[in-house]
Amino acid sequence: MKFSSSWLAEHIDGLTLAPAELGSLITIKTAECEGVEAHGAHFDHVVVARVLTSEPIPGTHLAVTSVDTGRYGIKQVVCGAPNCRANLLTAYVPPGQLGVTNAKLRGVDSAGMLASAKELGISSEDEGIIEFVTGNPGDAIPGCSSDTIIEIDNKSLTHRPDLWGHHGMAREVSAITGRALRPLSADLPSGPAPIAVSIVDPKLCPRFSALRFENVTVQPSPLWLQQRLESVGLNPINNIVDVTNFVMADLAQPMHAYDAAKLNGGITVRTAADGEPCPALNGTTYFLDPSVLVIADESGPVGIAGIIGGGPSAISASTTTILLEAANFHAASIRKTSTKLKLRTDASMRFEKSQDPANTVRALARAIALLEQVSPGIRVVGGVADVYYPAAPPAPIEFSLAWMRRKLGKADLTAAEVTAILTSLAFGVTETDGEFTVTVPSWRATKDVSIKDDLVEEVGRMIGYGNLTPLPPLVPNTVPPLPPERAYLRGLRQLLTAQGYTEVYNYSFVNEAQALELGLPIADHVRVVNPIAQGQELLRTSLLPHIKRNINDNAREFESFRLFEIGKEIHDRGRDLPEEIPHLAAVSFTKHGDGTASLFELKRLAGTIAVGCTLEPATAHSYEHPFRSAVVILRNEPIGRLFEFHPSAVETGRAAVLYLDLVKLQALRPETGKYRPLRRFPTSAFDLTVVADPRELAGRVLGLIEPLAGPQALKVQYLYDYTSERGRSMTYRITVGAADRTLTSDEVTATRAAIIKGLEASGLTVQS
Amino acid sequence: MIETLLSDLAAATQARIAAVTTADELETIRVEVLGRKGKLAEVSKDMGKLSPEQRGVVGKLLNAAKQSLEETLSTRQNAFAAAALAARLECEWLDLTVPAPGPGLGSLHPLTQIQAEIEDLFVSLGFTVLDGPEVETEFNNFDALNIPPDHPARDMQDTFWLSNGHLLRTHTSPVQVRGMKKLGPPLRMIAPGRVFRNEEVDASHEHTFYQLEGMMVDKDVSVAHLIYFMKTLLSAIFKRDVTVRLRPGYFPFVEPGFELDIQCLICNGTGCPVCKHSGWVELLPCGLVHPNVLRLGGIDPEEYSGFAFGLGLTRLVMMRYAIDDIRQLQGGDLRFLTQF
Ligand SMILES: [Zn+2]
Repeated sequence: MKFSSSWLAEHIDGLTLAPAELGSLITIKTAECEGVEAHGAHFDHVVVARVLTSEPIPGTHLAVTSVDTGRYGIKQVVCGAPNCRANLLTAYVPPGQLGVTNAKLRGVDSAGMLASAKELGISSEDEGIIEFVTGNPGDAIPGCSSDTIIEIDNKSLTHRPDLWGHHGMAREVSAITGRALRPLSADLPSGPAPIAVSIVDPKLCPRFSALRFENVTVQPSPLWLQQRLESVGLNPINNIVDVTNFVMADLAQPMHAYDAAKLNGGITVRTAADGEPCPALNGTTYFLDPSVLVIADESGPVGIAGIIGGGPSAISASTTTILLEAANFHAASIRKTSTKLKLRTDASMRFEKSQDPANTVRALARAIALLEQVSPGIRVVGGVADVYYPAAPPAPIEFSLAWMRRKLGKADLTAAEVTAILTSLAFGVTETDGEFTVTVPSWRATKDVSIKDDLVEEVGRMIGYGNLTPLPPLVPNTVPPLPPERAYLRGLRQLLTAQGYTEVYNYSFVNEAQALELGLPIADHVRVVNPIAQGQELLRTSLLPHIKRNINDNAREFESFRLFEIGKEIHDRGRDLPEEIPHLAAVSFTKHGDGTASLFELKRLAGTIAVGCTLEPATAHSYEHPFRSAVVILRNEPIGRLFEFHPSAVETGRAAVLYLDLVKLQALRPETGKYRPLRRFPTSAFDLTVVADPRELAGRVLGLIEPLAGPQALKVQYLYDYTSERGRSMTYRITVGAADRTLTSDEVTATRAAIIKGLEASGLTVQS
Repeated sequence: MIETLLSDLAAATQARIAAVTTADELETIRVEVLGRKGKLAEVSKDMGKLSPEQRGVVGKLLNAAKQSLEETLSTRQNAFAAAALAARLECEWLDLTVPAPGPGLGSLHPLTQIQAEIEDLFVSLGFTVLDGPEVETEFNNFDALNIPPDHPARDMQDTFWLSNGHLLRTHTSPVQVRGMKKLGPPLRMIAPGRVFRNEEVDASHEHTFYQLEGMMVDKDVSVAHLIYFMKTLLSAIFKRDVTVRLRPGYFPFVEPGFELDIQCLICNGTGCPVCKHSGWVELLPCGLVHPNVLRLGGIDPEEYSGFAFGLGLTRLVMMRYAIDDIRQLQGGDLRFLTQF
């Protein structure tokens, strides 16, 4: 939202602050100032000038003119405007302004420029150089002056409907600077309503006020009005529309002017019928539905309430009577319609902020004076048509000085200070012995201020938060332990980096192609309903799609690498919140070699993270190497997988992956048990070599030996293997012992024999 | 007689020992002379033929010779052993400047690092660390934070809506709601985590970034307390004394609400491009918890008050490491990630 500092100054007695300073004060006390910029600085130099002579330059559309500029003397200027002629009063831009230099055009010297309204930044009029009816050479351009624009961040005005106009901001400035705010005229004509108005749902439209004018002349606005609108980013259109926009930019009350001759009968504020068309003044016909509020006459909609006026009843050159509307609409309804129609206008932006219904008549009063100025001879017909369903006045807000002091943390705050601040912001204040009763001005009561906490902000910001002394809390401080899950994940990350793995963060989104590549059913995913970019359609049910991408991306840069991610799988649970399950994906990649080392490195990592885990061969997923894939088992529960990516899944090299469910893993971590006394009697060990099928699993044989070895077996260890034409020979060492004695050699032999017998019974051969 | 024999043997053996060049030769001599069947042993066998007096004399001589020989032998043995060890060690010359085999140290993501650092800081000030889900209910993300449907504040946060009717949290603030219900007053909590905004990604905009929510609820928590905490924490984070200022900011879940600026650390407030010549850098939104939010969290706003703030971890990381492209943080590029 752009604020003209001269416009603000017009509302305040004796405001002398430099605009930059004003911008900083507004930032500190009210809303964020995003920038302070000079506007129209050239108006300090551009003058009215009279064309003395104008001679065409043969063979061109240009003319060489002699111009009386007053202040700058007689100048020779080359001009290409069709309306350039002797005796014309126009604007002269001296060299150095608006990028104009002393130049030679077609060999003719030109000292400066004669300018159009558009070139002067007054309006978009650029058909020829500007023409003045009265004035003398050397005069400043009438109604135009240099200004400074203070730009305020719209977001910081979200809760302040009153600050969407200059008058509201001037009230803030008045409170900040202590300078008085000038009162506005509130005079309205009395008389019968000039048009019948009915409101179907007062909730959607609490107030509709209108005036009728006759003897209207539609013409361009005077320059001061055009320049003023231009300076705050509004386009001048014609004198009538410009007045409505000016009042909106001043009082934050959007208005609309209808060509009264084009209206058929009275006005009804109602919701649209399903599919009802409304041709708008932007040239588009909108097809509406019953959620949309319209202003209708007896023939149909003449405007979409609070958003845009209708096309057929718009002001045109032939307009002679107008109906001027200043209404109030329900903020949420306007916002909904504006979103639905994808149509944000200066009006809708303001109505969305909950405008003050009391403001409609203030706007009409302000418009009367302006219209009389810009359309000489204009006359009000009758009085105000005003249908108003006022809301119950808000209850006064009560609080104590002690409470305000506690909230701000300022023990020396006085009742007089509080009263002065609130009064300067137009709150009604009564105070007795530190007990306050405060009434809220209508323009703050729509949404912004309703409870005492809202007043803490008013008092705090005007005192200046910088004037509060930082205060350590008086409550005792105890240091809580880091929650176990967090401590666990932190430890895990440390362990992984110590083992050489670098952490990556990936998005929670995957696209359908990524999910399909890994065979993840699309239907299992929570879907994003409104992604604005590709690749955001689904929430990931696995970390692997991005891990796969990380592998391929980094394989282009590195011969080998290790990386990991700790992130959440998100699993749809229907109407409940999805289940978010933290997982670990660790990758060891190498471009060369057979990949065995990476897999065993990750197996060792698994053993470090999930102490006591075992691997069981698994049926490989499509993206896994069909013969290098295993389930990681901890205390009889699967907690994840160890695999090598299928060669078709990676562009090059071999990528081993350890993928673990961290929730299961944490739940299955062994509890610290009791200490086991050290063995007092010696143990014995013997080796056994089992000859089996070439693809017999070492782990399976180990699993057979353990129960066969009986309770005296202390340890069964795989030592090494050897493959020959006889099959796979695997050697195990079995350590036996007893807690209370040394085993006899007979006992050891018996154990050994039992194992051999058992293994042979399972179809294995034991080498003697 | 036997004495002569003994002294000759001793002298000859001493000479042989002096002449040996290898440990093996020395061992041969030891076995030959001092061994169980060695020459000294033979001599001692002959002692039986002597008279007791003579036996005493010869015995002493024998022991002296044996002891002397053993000493010489041992000295030379040690010398050989020392030489052998020196030779072996010399062979074991190793170039320790070659790179160590096996994996080097990995690195933690910079966001993990800064998050841990800030968590520790808050924990030391008595804050509990809480977690919240990435997928939230509309109620927790908006309504419970005093942002009813159709509130214009919902426009400020472009939301990813989901097929299950929920949404991806647009801020970590919903954890305030969870925290109040879980901990009850008085409480101090922080909640770091991933948040989402539905917007196009470029060098300075991300749809996925990290925030840290903080909340303290107690009796008579004031704006002055908030300023104290923020100043203390930010000074610790930036490892220097920082100047903060509060200015009005609108966030529906706090009242009053503030934007907290810190004085520009680059120019110390004199104005530079980083602070757009204002001397201040906008750092975090904060405020006193809105009574409606306390109420929805099951806390009586007449009895308790609190402050809340939201720290942008992503922003902090980018400031600390002067990262100019936000996409790097979730790009998975090890050339970037191994720098931290
Ligand atoms: Zn700076």
